[in-house]
Amino acid sequence: MTMADARRPAPAARPAAEDGARLGFRLTLPAQILVLFIAVFPLLMQLYISLTDWSPLTGTAWPRAWEYWNGFANYVDLFNDAKLWRSIWRTLLVVAIAVPIEFLLGLGLAMLFVDDFPGKKVAYSILIAPMMVVPAVAGYMFFMLFQSGGPVNDLLSWFTPEPVALAWLSQPTTALVAVIIADIWQWTPLMFLILLAGLVGVPQDQLRAAALLGASPAQRFVTIVIPRMKAIMIIAIALRVIECLKIFDTLFIMTGGGPGDATQTLSVYIYDITTQDLIWGYVAAIALAILVVLSLGAVWAMRRMVR
Amino acid sequence: MTRSVAFDVFRFAVILIALVLALVPILWMVSMAFKPVAEWQATGAALTWVPRAPTLDNFRFLFGQSGSDLIVALDRKVGKPILSSLLSSGFGTLIAMSAGTAAAYGLSRFGSGANLPLALIQLRLFPPMAVMIPVMIMWAFLGLIDSWWGLALIYGIVTLPFAFWLMKTFFDDMPKEIEEAALVEGCSRWRVFTRVTLPMMAAPLAAASLFVFILNWSDYLIALLLTTREWVTIPVYMASLSSSMTGQLYGAKAALGLIAAVPPVILGLVIQKHLVRGLTFGALKQ
Repeated sequence: MTMADARRPAPAARPAAEDGARLGFRLTLPAQILVLFIAVFPLLMQLYISLTDWSPLTGTAWPRAWEYWNGFANYVDLFNDAKLWRSIWRTLLVVAIAVPIEFLLGLGLAMLFVDDFPGKKVAYSILIAPMMVVPAVAGYMFFMLFQSGGPVNDLLSWFTPEPVALAWLSQPTTALVAVIIADIWQWTPLMFLILLAGLVGVPQDQLRAAALLGASPAQRFVTIVIPRMKAIMIIAIALRVIECLKIFDTLFIMTGGGPGDATQTLSVYIYDITTQDLIWGYVAAIALAILVVLSLGAVWAMRRMVR
Repeated sequence: MTRSVAFDVFRFAVILIALVLALVPILWMVSMAFKPVAEWQATGAALTWVPRAPTLDNFRFLFGQSGSDLIVALDRKVGKPILSSLLSSGFGTLIAMSAGTAAAYGLSRFGSGANLPLALIQLRLFPPMAVMIPVMIMWAFLGLIDSWWGLALIYGIVTLPFAFWLMKTFFDDMPKEIEEAALVEGCSRWRVFTRVTLPMMAAPLAAASLFVFILNWSDYLIALLLTTREWVTIPVYMASLSSSMTGQLYGAKAALGLIAAVPPVILGLVIQKHLVRGLTFGALKQ
């Protein structure tokens, strides 16, 4: 008999349910602690700092930030910060252009992949490769592609009489276009992957029956596929919207938010004022405001989905 | 569905175009990685899609061997950033998977920690940028700035939602009869978990770990804010491979990009069939 056996109480000593509850509590404990460590405590700290003018440059440790107390001034400033609002609109613009294109391209491709065809597996693997590429590396890829002497201009030159020497990343509009193209390249595969998984689950016999009854492909799509796919489409779009709102890595490597502030999205703006201006009290206020807005948005979205 | 030849041709053409578009940016980087300095910035008629004089100089340069046409010398070689990326992503995965698997089992079997699913989704919703001020302050206080272990800790927390959700769906799918049989045999709950459940879940555990590792390996922003010099990761180091003195070191950067891109692409193909489940927090199974 081993030590462990000796220590274990007789089976009847402790009811199984209680045993399970205790183990369950212990098993979830590490995750609970990590969540507290990253969510609750930092948020309280953030709230505190956001009510002050504190900055690491003051030389005071953060617990004494009250010496720089300024009440809700940071939150008032936030409404008058034209750069902040421009960065928010810019982010929304990127999301509004990139996500629908990704969705439509992904859906279109997924529909072509429902039936079997030779080479399907290889094609599938290649198509999802872009989303595996480290986003920072993808940023560098597109940085190279969009150089004025780079391959994009070289390809365009095949179709124009004069060689194209467009400096994509140095002009506000084209820089934004380039950034959006990079996002579409990297994340259309995600839409494709998720939507294909959904399409495969649409019962084929229903489609065949509808076809026999004379429904056109468009009718079949609207009356059978879309209702079946609704939840999955919402998941796919929601995932991409959430991630696209955070857009940073690829864009930052390609343009650094420039030229000027032409591609300065919300994350880039916060990064800039965090690392250059070092006004951390104000950054904390912006960050908290974003968290509140996003949480409200999420609650609203979930309510709607449940209904 | 009636399938016509025209449709097959159409599908073939569209998929071919999609494949080319997916591959060209990657292949351009591969090509650049093997180009000698002279071809880095060739434009117009001189622009080369395939290197005319392919060379390994860019890789040699990164690892500090001279003999290339590059006049500049690296003040820091690539070995340490690769080590940093490996250690921080690896141990971050270990933290996320340990805490995530345990919590997923606790919730799946005993209903403990019912607040966790929503809390973890919210954690994922937050842009990392929006919690970085307190994290930077805490990490500075704990002496974790510019260390791989500091990065590993934050990676473990950031990817915990994925580890938890993936493992929870795997546990939910697992038949409970075997566990119940072991319980009847007189095993304790803990013994059932470690000796029966976990071994049975070896394949899902491996897939989830690889998935979480890819996520950690892909980070740029967090490492950019939390490392400064000693333990910068590959993406941060890559951005430092240009300066006003040297200009862009196109080929060297491409070679490094290739080194960074290869592991996740291969691992991603290995766990292909779990990708949908992982990316949708288990909402969708393939």
